[in-house]
Order: sequence, then structure tokens, then C-alpha cells
Amino acid sequence: MTKLKKLIDKCELLAFDLNFKKAKKWKLENDNRVLVGYMPIYFPREIIHAAAGLPVGILGVGDRKQIIVGDAYYQSYICHIPRGIIEMALSKNFDDFDGFLFPSICDVIRNLSGMFQMSGVGKFAKYMDFPQDFNSHIGGKFYIQEMQSVLDKIKKINNVDVTNEHLNRSIKLYNINRRLIEKIYDIRQEFPWRLAAIDVYHILRAGMVIPVEEHNEMLELVIAEISNDIGEPMDNIRVVVTSSFCEQPPVSLIRTIEQSGCYIIDDDFMLGSRWIQGDVEEDTDNPLLALSEAYIKKSTFSSSVYDVGNPKGVRLIALAKKRKTDGIIFAAPSFCDPALLDSPLYQKACERENVRYINFQYHENIGQFKVIKEQVGAFSDSIKLWEI
Amino acid sequence: MKKKIYTIGIDVGSSYIKTVLITYSDKQEIVDKLTEKIRKRNPVIVAKQTIDYLLEKNKLKYEDIAYLASTGEGEMVTRKKGHFYSMTTHARGGKFFVNEARTVVDLGALYVKAIKVNDEGKVLNYKMTGQCASGSGQFIENISRYLGLAISEIGDISLQSKKPEAPSGICAVLAETDVINMVSRNISTPDIIKGIHISVANRVIRLLTSIKAESPVVLTGGMAKNVGMVQVIKDLAKKVNIAANDIYAHTDAIYAGAIGAAIWGGFRYYKLKEVKK
Repeated sequence: MTKLKKLIDKCELLAFDLNFKKAKKWKLENDNRVLVGYMPIYFPREIIHAAAGLPVGILGVGDRKQIIVGDAYYQSYICHIPRGIIEMALSKNFDDFDGFLFPSICDVIRNLSGMFQMSGVGKFAKYMDFPQDFNSHIGGKFYIQEMQSVLDKIKKINNVDVTNEHLNRSIKLYNINRRLIEKIYDIRQEFPWRLAAIDVYHILRAGMVIPVEEHNEMLELVIAEISNDIGEPMDNIRVVVTSSFCEQPPVSLIRTIEQSGCYIIDDDFMLGSRWIQGDVEEDTDNPLLALSEAYIKKSTFSSSVYDVGNPKGVRLIALAKKRKTDGIIFAAPSFCDPALLDSPLYQKACERENVRYINFQYHENIGQFKVIKEQVGAFSDSIKLWEI
Repeated sequence: MKKKIYTIGIDVGSSYIKTVLITYSDKQEIVDKLTEKIRKRNPVIVAKQTIDYLLEKNKLKYEDIAYLASTGEGEMVTRKKGHFYSMTTHARGGKFFVNEARTVVDLGALYVKAIKVNDEGKVLNYKMTGQCASGSGQFIENISRYLGLAISEIGDISLQSKKPEAPSGICAVLAETDVINMVSRNISTPDIIKGIHISVANRVIRLLTSIKAESPVVLTGGMAKNVGMVQVIKDLAKKVNIAANDIYAHTDAIYAGAIGAAIWGGFRYYKLKEVKK
């Protein structure tokens, strides 16, 4: 077994360990350590890291846990991710977690934060309002207050004073993390056969539940391996998969897309890890301001973000062109309001720019891919045989 | 004229793996072909073995194949260059048999697909049967097994029918119960078999109606080898204004997907060469 294969297998285990054993073990190594779970999409993990904490991405149960009580909390017309998360909470998967953060994505996640508060899971559960005003002196200022309130909550638990030095160090580590991830995407843009999209997914998802230092080492190893001329290129089309930023697609869905004649060159599966486009300013006297400015000025586009002046449709097309792709696949979770409401807007942009696209919906525990396979296969063939 | 190249098309189905070796140039010719029943073996290994067998038999190496294309469950095929969706490959395979074809009907083990094609073999429209098993070759295979018949003989037996007895329901499970009743009522085996064929053929006709099928129609897939099924489809085709002699079923119909994959592979080989230039 190659080094890369071993690492990918390890990442898969970490990514789908719904008991978060690795994170819990990490916490036990030091008394002042805290575990803070955060929901998709993005959270400035740097501040948790600086406060002697481990930010743990909570991305739902996928198809790995049967939902028994979770369904009782949500109506049938609500997406799947919160059912799995509440199921985990009630099954005590989050024992040893100190707090939970619910970034503002949609009403469902807002309601989930309320359920956590009422259930008394963890020492705090905070709905984290992200600014929708992208002026530094308004939205930026508000955002700094929100981050400070998280730090205050953690301090109450572990009594750790977060200094600028701590924050600057964390910023540096996460800057490295984002750079390494982008490097992997850049290599795959040229040589997508060297690392399957499903492997990238496992590697990135593992990074949500382990310390960033360890993840950076893993990413460096991956880059070293895929910088070699490995694998054989296939005659596939190149696509961007989008709209899967919150409730995650089942891994078999990602595999199905690639097996139906597509290379996934870019995606928004682990969007939180790639949210800030570029670096957060390092070594500053005001690291929270640096994080805030990065959010205000360097955020990627997303259905959860107000996009006045910088339309997301234009940005999606720009991404598809930058990555030299042949088309876009809109794969949205069923009942995901943000993704589905934005869908016509994105698709209009595709039509305007003559970019080929298809769309379908999934839910995290879907087990039948026949129809999706047909749709993606037909999409791939139509481009391969009649366009390029 | 394009230089002659070798391509392989491999169609991994639920029961059989069909593999063809062709020469691709301005004209395409089948060099060799092989059908292998999977029989509870690992399809990845069976697929590899069929390719190895064809290569060895024809004194060729992997490197001699310009494009190895899969269709069907393509993930079972290692070392392939590309994968094509079965609709695309059956459409092209049908055109290989009858160049003027305007409609191709893939009579597969799990699904039946009616596909409208243009001159170049491009899919214009299609409809397929849903998840229900009673519109598939597997259903016919199951019934023949209950009756103690080999799948290869049911076509001829169906042609002997004088008074076909169609199952009352459209559900495969209910139809199977119906067949048990028919046996207990002493309905003759040919009449039962033809009744089952009529049941499946009616679904084919409904698909042809919904895509507004045009002649000529080419039948592909495993069931197209079944002369009883082909005859029933011909008999019913007038419902969609298609003459019986405008329906074709080639003896190599089971290879249509593999042939289509091999041809599209050759097409892509030259297209990629152009792009590189």
C-alpha cells in the first residue's frame, strides 16, 4: 500500500468517525483544552485554536447513522442535516464537547441552535450571526464583537487569556492550511487523475476534526505524492460541482459523478476550509480585525452571503473558467432553501455565458444513484462527443 | 482516410459482460467479440479476463489498443481510457447495425430504453422503463426458469403459441403468481411464454409512442436475440405506425453497447488527436 493510499484511508476513518474519538483524545491531553463543534459553512477556526481549543466540524451523519429520534424534531419538508446532528446530540456523540457554534446559514440551522440550547448539550450553544453588510466599519465591527463573544464564552470554560501572539500564530497555521488545500486543487486542475475527488473530500473532511498542525502535515504529504507523475489520464470532461456547501453529498454520489465520465475539478463540499480566498493578514496588532477584514474582503461566494456588488453568478462562471472546466453540476440537498433559491440565478448566469450545466438534488443518506448516473453520463457524453 | 486503429468496447451488464474488438477508421469492422456470464464472480476480474482473452487471441497488447471504452457498469473496468453512458453507446451500436436507424430500443436485463437518434447517432430523445422489474429481460429469464426452460429456447417456444395468455397485472411479483395459476390451469407453456412476451412488448410500444418513434427501428440488448420477443414487438408495432419489416434485430444485438463504446472510443481518439494539434 502506498503512503498516499494509507493516508487517504486514515483520513476516511477520521472524517466519518461520528464519535470524534481523535478530538476527544486530544482534549484529554491537557486540562485547559476545549472542544468546540461548529456547523457548516464557515467559522473563523483561528480564534478557537488560539484559545487552546479544537474546532470540530459537524457535518451531519451522512449515511452512517440511522435517524430514529432526529426525524421527530423536523418536518418532512426540512433538509436532512439537522436531523442527523440532533440525533448525534441525543445519542451522546458530543459528550466532552464544550460548546457549539451555529454560523448563520439558514433558518434551519438557527432553529437547531435553539434546540441545542434547550437540550443543554455542551456548556454553550451560540448562533453566530455573520455580517451581511460588507463595510468594515459596520459589518466588520459587528463581526469582531461576535468573535469576541465566542472568545469570552471559551474563557469562562478554560480561563485561557487569548493574546495577539496566540491569534497571530493560529492565523499563520490556517493560512498555511488554506494555501496547501489550494495547491492540491491547483495540481488537480492540471492532473485530476492523480487524486480522485473522493480522496480530496476525505482528506479535507478529516481536517475538520483534527488539529490544524497535523492536517497541514498530511496536506504536505499529499502534495508531495501528487506532484509525482502518478495515474493514467482518462478521457473525462471537467466539471465544477456546486450547491453542496452545507448538507454533504454521500461519498457514493461524488464517486458516481467521477465514474460517469467527469473529473470534479472544483467543488464547494468543504467550503468552510476554503472560505477565505488568500491569506489573513499575519503578525498584526489587531488579529481580530485582520480576521474580520479577511471575511469582509476575501470571502468566497455562497448562497448564505448577500452578494450586492459582486454577483455570485458571475463569480461561479469565473471559477469555472479559471479551472478550465467544461460544465457545472448543481448538486443541491433536497429542501436546501439557500441553494435552491439561488439555483435559477446561477443557471441564468450559465445560460448567459453559454456554460453547460445540469442539476439534481440529493440528501445525505441517499442510496440510489441510478438516475444521477444516467444524468451525469448523458451530460458527459453530450459534451465529449458533440462539443469538445 | 483515417489510419486504422484498434479499439475495444466493453459493456458490463448485470448478468453478462460483452466485449468487442474493432478496427476503427472511416469504416468500422468487428475483429472479435466475446460474451461472458458473470455468475456470482467478481465483475472486475471477469472484465479483465475477457479483455486479456481477446487481446491474447488476436496477438495484441494493451498498448496496441488506441482507446478502451467502457459502458454499463464501467467502474468494473480497470485500465480504460473512457466511459460512455449506455444510452449513447446503444444508439451508436444500433446505427452500426442499420445505418438509417431513427430509433433504437435497448432491451436490457434491467431496463428497456427507447432512443431516438439522428444521422450521426446523437441521442435526440429517450424514454426508459422505471424501477419495475416486469419490463425487463430479467423478468423473462425468471419466468423461464420457473417453467424449467432455458432462456435460449423460449423464443422458439413462444412462436408455437396459438392462444397467448397474458398475465393480469403489470407487477413482476403478481405476474409470477399469475404464471403459477396458469400452470395449474393447464395453460400450455408456449401460450404462457408468449403472454409474458406480450406483456413486456406492450411496455416497449408505450415507450415508442411517448418518444414518437420513427422507422427504421433497431432492437438491441440481450432480449433482441429472443425471436419470440422480436416477433411480438413486430406484431404490435403497427400501433405506432411502424411496419414490421422496419424493425431489425441483428444477431449481434447483444453487443450493441460494446460496439457503440468501441466506435465512440475511436471517434474520441481522433478528436483528442485533433485537439492536441
